Amino acid sequence: MTVAVAGIGTTGANVIRHLIELGVDRLRLHDINPDAERQVAGLVARGAEFAPPLGGEPPAAVILATPCGKQALMARELLEAGSHVVSISDSPEDVVELLRLDPVARDRGVSMVVGAGMAPGLGCLLARHAGDQLDQVDAVSIAKAGTAGPACARQHHLALKRPGRDWVGDGWEFRAGGSGRDLAWFPDPIGARDCYRGALPSPILLHRQYPNAKRLSARVSATRRDRLTARLPMMREPHDDGGPGAVRAEVRGWRDGSVETIIYAVAAFPSSVAAAVAAVVALRAVDGKAPAGATGLCEWPDVGEVLRAVHGRGVPISVFEGVGA
Amino acid sequence: MLTLVRRVVAALGLTGLIATLFRLRGRGGVAPQSGGWRDLDESELR
Repeated sequence: MTVAVAGIGTTGANVIRHLIELGVDRLRLHDINPDAERQVAGLVARGAEFAPPLGGEPPAAVILATPCGKQALMARELLEAGSHVVSISDSPEDVVELLRLDPVARDRGVSMVVGAGMAPGLGCLLARHAGDQLDQVDAVSIAKAGTAGPACARQHHLALKRPGRDWVGDGWEFRAGGSGRDLAWFPDPIGARDCYRGALPSPILLHRQYPNAKRLSARVSATRRDRLTARLPMMREPHDDGGPGAVRAEVRGWRDGSVETIIYAVAAFPSSVAAAVAAVVALRAVDGKAPAGATGLCEWPDVGEVLRAVHGRGVPISVFEGVGA
Repeated sequence: MLTLVRRVVAALGLTGLIATLFRLRGRGGVAPQSGGWRDLDESELR
């Protein structure tokens, strides 16, 4: 079984680490930057080849850890070749285009997993896990703090200057990026962070599972400098790893006739969390445990099992106990 | 005419400055006064 990783940035390198630790012995790795390939060459001394994902027999699964944008083009070719595809893109455009590949994936009987990173990804899993404990889900709010590698930081910067999309009542509402300040409380060491609207894809994926919810929203943490400079080019090179960070899912609804709020969160390095989710999900797809077609993780039938597997990769999951979170 | 333009530019600039200050200052809510985070164990992820 060959698993391919396209894009060996900060998250891609972590994906490779998780795959090796999960027992994958044949890897096909590719990055347009030869330096990135050389940096992980020591990590994968045996059982790895450096070639484009479709440079030979199609791999069982391909994890797209490339920067956001144009992932759908690559995903379509891979699906047509018969590979499962897992995308960690957090660009709304990528997510919409990848979801449109559903007929292609179904036709080939493979999975196109959309948004298998931290948010979307783990945030969707946490929301679904909370939603499964309620009789009816009224509102889901996802908040995220921190970034993974430089490509993720650039997407964070871009997200803040573009409109955020919330599902309100019975339609999509687009509001300015950087608006809608909301103080979100994350586990230590992140703590309280002001979070804002932005071009975030989580509501698109959540709406597929909760079409009758009254509100589906996503926020991303930002500093005053982030917001002040959001409409300018990035002032300095992003960090190699923008962690630690956190993701949090707050779900409100009804249980036994009364209103309930359930809040789950994870505080860890986004690069490692996103990689753990992508690796676990890719192997489940290979094992035939992923739904065929294009899906987000909140639509999966066995969310508890996926969360246990992610937890087993060293990702601590917390619940908020108390009111007024 | 030039005075009017100057006043309009000054007024717009002042409005923008005040809007920026409002936008950047302040906080989005109050931190929780009770409760806290507890790590889940594997048996709770079902």
